[in-house]
Amino acid sequence: MAEREVEAGWPGSSVTESNESGSPGRGGGALQWVTVDGPLGVQQEEALKLARNFFYGGFCLLPWLWFVNCFYFWPVLRQRESDPLIRPYVLWSGVGCLTMTVALLAWSLTFAIGGEDVFGSSWRYFAVYDIADKYSMVQMLS
Amino acid sequence: MTEGNILESLGSEIVGIVTPVSICMLLVVLLVQSLTPHGSDVPVASIAMLVYDEQPTDSFTEKLGGAMLNALVFVIIVTVVTFLLVVLFYFRCTKFLRAYMGFSAFMVLAYMGGGVAVLLIQNYSIPIDAVSFLVMLYNFATVGVLAVFFSKMPIFVTQGYLVLIGVLVAYWFTMLPEWTTWVLLMAMALYDVVAVLLPGGPLNMLVELAIERDEDIPALIYEARPNARHIAPLPNSPHPVSISSSASDSAAQATQIPPRWRRRVVTAPPPGNASSAAAAATQLPSNVVNEPVNNQDTVRPIGISALRIESQPQPPGQAQALAPPHSTVVMDGLETSSRTAGRSEIINIEALLEDVAGNGESGVLSAAIKLGLGDFIFYSVLVGRAAMYDMTTVYACYLAIVAGLGSTLVLLTVWRRALPALPISITLGVIFYLLTRFLVDPFIVNLSTHYVYF
Repeated sequence: MAEREVEAGWPGSSVTESNESGSPGRGGGALQWVTVDGPLGVQQEEALKLARNFFYGGFCLLPWLWFVNCFYFWPVLRQRESDPLIRPYVLWSGVGCLTMTVALLAWSLTFAIGGEDVFGSSWRYFAVYDIADKYSMVQMLS
Repeated sequence: MTEGNILESLGSEIVGIVTPVSICMLLVVLLVQSLTPHGSDVPVASIAMLVYDEQPTDSFTEKLGGAMLNALVFVIIVTVVTFLLVVLFYFRCTKFLRAYMGFSAFMVLAYMGGGVAVLLIQNYSIPIDAVSFLVMLYNFATVGVLAVFFSKMPIFVTQGYLVLIGVLVAYWFTMLPEWTTWVLLMAMALYDVVAVLLPGGPLNMLVELAIERDEDIPALIYEARPNARHIAPLPNSPHPVSISSSASDSAAQATQIPPRWRRRVVTAPPPGNASSAAAAATQLPSNVVNEPVNNQDTVRPIGISALRIESQPQPPGQAQALAPPHSTVVMDGLETSSRTAGRSEIINIEALLEDVAGNGESGVLSAAIKLGLGDFIFYSVLVGRAAMYDMTTVYACYLAIVAGLGSTLVLLTVWRRALPALPISITLGVIFYLLTRFLVDPFIVNLSTHYVYF
């Protein structure tokens, strides 16, 4: 029989108990599979370790890693009273990812749409295909 | 299980492998069509061009001879590097191998991926700026390296990145001159047969070493999802009492053992003895015969493609007993050379180091078909080259390759040992390319232009 230990102290989360001996179906808000891979994915401690590592890793300017974190633990994110240990990491990864993406998009779109009107002559300095032409990257690639 | 079940499960396993191969080929064809529709004007500098630089003006024999020299040099280099890998593996330099493979994967994703992206940006005049481009590339490459080598990630992400690595390397290979490419493909198919089937072949040795030691070879291997039909709910693992008992007394936990994806679990019965325990009825997967220990995700030094069917031990309570463990590894060698400096550096792309040791679980083996990334790459190179002529050759070659892959998979179940994935597909692909290009295409084109069929 297996029980999950739940740490007290996460505000707002309910204490959950896991199923016993692997019978299918969910009891009382507990999640059976915390990852999007279902039975093939990681569980429990390993999942927590992963979620935590991905969360801290994303601070190295890696919003994509945060996104993968959210995708990976989507069942946790979807259910409000799921694993109270993993959920904060995933939730804040999602928030971080959205923030960084919005910032990046804002800059990118300003650059792409604004073009030379907004930036003036320095636009050519930044645009990738101009840089590529300048250094004749096609040659570099060959 | 009935015959129908075997066919069903075999069918879905095959689809699980043919789909990513097809996606890889499709992406390469798209890249080729948009970027270098008729072959590149400036062939890439690479190891495959050490000896002979093909010029469009050379004569037939010159081109053929030069191409064969190039291919020979390439195969020799691949062999040498594979032996080097065997030696390193033999001396257990796992950390070094793993680090090196991580580095080479990062180079592929960042450098080649960045290169292809820049080509696309130039081609389609996408007004992106350098800062966001660099940030995105950095994200892409870092998460890719993590996904393929160093960390557990969603299966979809890992598989996706493997396919992308295959696409990038294959696209790069299509930039070689034409004759060199075709001769190289055939040379690699021959090398594959020799390296895998002959007892002295490097890949054979590698596999045997891995089996002996019960370790995984660091390599790039694509593993399809195991068939989910026999997945039982997993008891929550903090108290894996039911799981950790050895397989020999696993009667009660039969239904509770979940298949793992890319995780090797040690079984109690050693590989050799399992066959004695096997009953007559050996089922094919979904309880695909899993190869205990080692060998599961191994393979691919330098891009060897491994095709494996792994068995899943059936709990004694059920009708089917353990099938003799076997692994069929289809291997193929692959090597990419870096573009910098001019051909001197060899990047080995490989790597899937499974974190095997100390899993603390036993009795569960994953059931999955694995195909090494080198196979993906060479299939895509063939189709990409065919795309440089016309789409008719693409269709013909695609069908030939898929037919070859299917027959290789069937042979896998018959022969139950490591098998090279390249030869049948590449041979069929080359034959059909030549037939289509020189017979079918002129025929069709002439018929259309002269309105014989309305």
